[in-house]
Amino acid sequence: MRAGWPSGVGLGWRAELAGLYDKLPGLRFTEVIAESLASSGRPPGPLTHLLQRGVTVIPHGIRLSLGGAEPLELERVEFLARCAETLNAPLVSEHIAFVRAGDVAAGHLLPVPRTREMVDLLARKIRQVRAALPVPFAVEPIAALFDWPDDELDEADFLTEILSRTDALLLLDVANLYANARNRGADPMAVLDRLPLDRIAYVHVAGGCERDGFYHDTHTDPTPSEVLDLVTALCARRPAPGFLLERDGGYPPGEDLYAELDAIADAAGHPRITTAGSVSRHDTPLTP
Amino acid sequence: MTRDHSDLAAKQAALVAALVAGAPVPDGFDERRLAAARQALLRKRTGEVARDWPVLAAESEWPGWFLGWAAGRPPQGGLRDGFDFARWLRAESRLPDAAAVELTIREALWRYDGQRPPRQRRLPTLRRIGGTWILQVLGRAYLLRG
Repeated sequence: MRAGWPSGVGLGWRAELAGLYDKLPGLRFTEVIAESLASSGRPPGPLTHLLQRGVTVIPHGIRLSLGGAEPLELERVEFLARCAETLNAPLVSEHIAFVRAGDVAAGHLLPVPRTREMVDLLARKIRQVRAALPVPFAVEPIAALFDWPDDELDEADFLTEILSRTDALLLLDVANLYANARNRGADPMAVLDRLPLDRIAYVHVAGGCERDGFYHDTHTDPTPSEVLDLVTALCARRPAPGFLLERDGGYPPGEDLYAELDAIADAAGHPRITTAGSVSRHDTPLTP
Repeated sequence: MTRDHSDLAAKQAALVAALVAGAPVPDGFDERRLAAARQALLRKRTGEVARDWPVLAAESEWPGWFLGWAAGRPPQGGLRDGFDFARWLRAESRLPDAAAVELTIREALWRYDGQRPPRQRRLPTLRRIGGTWILQVLGRAYLLRG
């Protein structure tokens, strides 16, 4: 049997935070960067320990380059499938982005042009990935500081179109949503209302900072209150999904991270995961 | 698929080149936003190198000297970027002693020719840097100060 669907509040797996997970008795799910795992897909010791505790571990890919002009690299898809098996994961997630062009890697997730051609390309590649995976596939729209001059669709229409043409689920990142809306001078709540929220598999939450007139989704700063407001707004519009905090550096003391996890739980109306007494069960899958 | 999307492929390549290889901003993109993205990528890359090369990153000139070196050189991941940068400093006789020991430890652990990705060494190695001997056995490095 597959591990449980992501629910409650989770914390992304980072080796640097390995000591913290044991102090989260209510933790029900985490996410591991797939490319950080061995080529066998087998998890390192501390992550195996979490699996044995019954914590769901979702493989989250960052190098598939779904939105790249080049064909899918099949060995990367096979690797994600292998990760799903070794982790017994209920789904796999990746990004609506491209990360390389020709031989040159960007070292980061880059935005794709929101064109009809790109919708076709993504729909085809997503179906190809899904066919190779033993579990559902969720795609995540990224944060980007710039748009393409080629854009024909806005982000909500682009995403809705891609999801309507595949059976992919949505990994919504409310921090990305906030960053993009703010940097475009748009209202994040209005964008939220236009997204296919019924397709959400789970949700990312992260922090960022203001620099040079832009909001940067750094994952190295605390989660701002505006992002927590989006958590609350989302839970007012549909059953509360699982929320996962991503932190990629500038690691604060454990207590600060616990406080942030509690703030996310409070914003979502989920039980806090930092205390044993608050553990509750959400056994109803939220799969659409 | 590549044949169908050759125009897209060229545009993506031009964008990546502008972001990480010092190429000009392609037509139609907002110059200020792309400049901010380029800086954000450099900062992220600096953090990745610092994770793999903590001694190098503790030097007083970090991160300024890395940012100068990395601009225009496409990223290769933290381990490899740090390797290339530390070797470049060594070749320029600007690598501080502590960072030189760190580089020698990495070289005892990894086989890296500067072209292909580093691979872990399987056989034991013994290196000397100044008064320090570095012994690598089964993927672990031991420092023996003379």
